[in-house]
Amino acid sequence: MKLIQLTVNGRRYDLPVDDDELLLDVLRDKIGAYSVREGCGVGACGACTVLVGGISVSSCLARAVRYDGAELTTADGLPEDDAVVTAFVESRAMQCGYCIPGFVLMAHELLAENPQPDREQIVAHLEGNICRCGTYQEICRAVEVAAERRERA
Amino acid sequence: MKPPLHQPTSVAEACELLDTLEETMVYGGGTAIQILIKQGVLFAGNLVDLSRVPGLAEIEETAEGLRVGPMTTLRRMETSEVVRRRVPLAAQTYGHVANPRVRNTASVGGNIAHGDYRLDPPTALLVLGARVELTSVRGTRAVPIRDFFVDFQVTAVEPGELITALHIPAAPAGNSSTFVKMSSLGENDWPAASVAAQVDVERRTLRLGLGALAHVPRYVEVPLDGRGVDAAVAAATAAVEPELDPIPDVRGSADYKRKLGLVATEDAVRRAWEEAR
Repeated sequence: MKLIQLTVNGRRYDLPVDDDELLLDVLRDKIGAYSVREGCGVGACGACTVLVGGISVSSCLARAVRYDGAELTTADGLPEDDAVVTAFVESRAMQCGYCIPGFVLMAHELLAENPQPDREQIVAHLEGNICRCGTYQEICRAVEVAAERRERA
Repeated sequence: MKPPLHQPTSVAEACELLDTLEETMVYGGGTAIQILIKQGVLFAGNLVDLSRVPGLAEIEETAEGLRVGPMTTLRRMETSEVVRRRVPLAAQTYGHVANPRVRNTASVGGNIAHGDYRLDPPTALLVLGARVELTSVRGTRAVPIRDFFVDFQVTAVEPGELITALHIPAAPAGNSSTFVKMSSLGENDWPAASVAAQVDVERRTLRLGLGALAHVPRYVEVPLDGRGVDAAVAAATAAVEPELDPIPDVRGSADYKRKLGLVATEDAVRRAWEEAR
């Protein structure tokens, strides 16, 4: 066991973790950030996405002990009037919603790097996220709506 | 038994651990290692994590090209201005690995140390003639990337050695290059065939790096006679064909991959040629 410090959605946690404990499990089981989900377990589906200092990371492949001192954002931490979240809701970009927190965080990362992405850039950035309901068209539209809205704000 | 994770804070300490511990494996970005652990196929007695060693994620511009630290992420290779400017083929190829999120974590050193025959970056590094810097308690040596991939998932890294840099020479001005990846199952899956190609500005040499087409990434150099793109394609496919020895799997039979390898070769040569004009 090692003691690590994580800041998750602005709140600080001091946590004892095992060497091989995954960030995914720490976030869910020790912090209760249930928007972080396990899908494929190999970094290919994006359901477990978290932002570490604004950079997307597959928490299912990340050992928590390596993130001592990191600042994390999970979808739970986004405000209710978040431009990306509201765009997803209004664009009806979800059915079951399991994958959506991952898509929302990937969209945040993209818009921070590139505030006005075209469709091709959106698709390229979201290529590692899978939605089994298949709402990809609506998801891409939601990212475009969020980009327009952020531009106007 | 779970292998313990050691977290050295200097290269010297890391080398010391690699020298003294049994069955060590270096833990870089960890993306491949974590997947192999989940699949139950990783055999290591001790893991040496580099995430607390400062200075291993630098990209330096050198007279020759770039010196890249082993913990540099694949995504930085894709997006960094200096990489795009000095070695555009490397930036393009690193941008094809897995997905952006995995590229945020996976490391340059870990990627080549993994040594998988299907990886994208080796194809470009073979074409560019990169060198791998290896450090151990015995000192430092450099291995040309063209001698680095020794056998199926076996590299020139000796026990106790750590990849401490990747030197990538910039292609001479006027050269042009591209990377072509063909996947049969899904965009982000391992390729069934991949080819990096560089056309020499004088049209005298064509350099090709092949991925997923044999049990190791392969390098092929083709002299050009200046008779135009069709002759270059014919020379390239003739030189590539005897190198093709693909492993059949769920992504296709050996025959299918062999054919795809020739298609990818032709595509890569034509695209690089087009850019050179």
